[in-house]
Amino acid sequence: MELLEALGLNLKILLAQLVNFAVLFFVLWKFAYKPIFKMLEERRNKIAKGVKDADKAEDKLKEAKVKEQELINAAKKEALQIIEEARERAEAKKQSVIDKTKEEIGQIINAEKEKIQQEKADTLKSIKADVSELVILAVEKVLQEKLAGAKDEELVAKAIKGLK
Amino acid sequence: MDLNISLAPDILFSLAGFPVTNTLLWSVVLSVFLMLFFVLIARSAKLIPGRWQNFIELLVDGSYSFVESITGPGEKAKRVFPLVFTMFIFTLVANLAVYIPGQAAITVYNGEGFVPVFRAVMSDYGLVLIMTLISVLVMQIVAIITAGPWKYLGRFINLKNPLAFFLGLMELVGELAKIISLSFRLFGNIFAGEVLGSVILFLAPFFMPLPFQFLGLLSAVVQAFVFSVLTLVFISMASEMPAEEEAKV
Repeated sequence: MELLEALGLNLKILLAQLVNFAVLFFVLWKFAYKPIFKMLEERRNKIAKGVKDADKAEDKLKEAKVKEQELINAAKKEALQIIEEARERAEAKKQSVIDKTKEEIGQIINAEKEKIQQEKADTLKSIKADVSELVILAVEKVLQEKLAGAKDEELVAKAIKGLK
Repeated sequence: MDLNISLAPDILFSLAGFPVTNTLLWSVVLSVFLMLFFVLIARSAKLIPGRWQNFIELLVDGSYSFVESITGPGEKAKRVFPLVFTMFIFTLVANLAVYIPGQAAITVYNGEGFVPVFRAVMSDYGLVLIMTLISVLVMQIVAIITAGPWKYLGRFINLKNPLAFFLGLMELVGELAKIISLSFRLFGNIFAGEVLGSVILFLAPFFMPLPFQFLGLLSAVVQAFVFSVLTLVFISMASEMPAEEEAKV
């Protein structure tokens, strides 16, 4: 008992200390630890969600990049194909134009040749006609002079005979 | 000038027949301060923490992980944390409050003589005893809940053979010794620090007390830690009693 007194132990004070500590304990528990833990939990969840979202976004970005590359590749391929096709077509067209031109030139040449031939023939014909006319005229003149006498009558008679 | 060392806290004044000691006053003041500090910060807690909130969260979360590392994660840590952390923070703040400069110089006349208004809270054996009793009581309750009342009593009273009876008695002494060892460790360290501080201050008031102050600062933190961690470990052990018994069989 002497020791207790020396240490200053007094039931009233002990009770007061107990009440004080109990109040401190309950107040801190209810109004400090609980909200703090709740807040920590909330933040943890939010961070977890954020990290997850970030991962998702990264995956999506990767996917998009792959898709983009694919699209670019496809577009490049298509472009090359189109260019190739265009070149081929141009080549074909060029060839066909050349062929056509050649043909046309040939045709023109042929036509010209024919025309020349025709003209030549015509000229020959007309020359022939002129020559024959001239021959006939010459013959007539020669004949008129020779057949002025009896021969003319003879000839007429022959002709009449022939007619009969 | 005389050196005045008293084992018991001094009574400052009487409030309607109730003796108010300097340690009681101090512990109430510190409790109110702690409550205001924690509750205000917890109240205004935001998802994006401010500086103080960050500090508090670091303290609480760090302590919680520490508690979890001893009790194992889950419900157990959640249950024991409030008590252990309150003991720790209260003891720590009480021990550190001694280092507020100038407070030791304030005295008050209580009718018999001048007594200091402030005194290290944990150098009041009454308060330390109360805290120890709480922690030992919680240990016993946890042990009873986990082992069941009969098995719990069986630990102390075993009439199978003389050896078992003796071991049971030892077990009982061990539990009682916990009260003594826990309480006197904290009380002794802090009280000794106080006495040492005032003695050195009395003998050589300049520069000499500095190393002792540092030592006191160290023991202030360490004792707060030791007291709460021992409480934690004992409670944790009490909650694992059945498993231990099984392991022995």
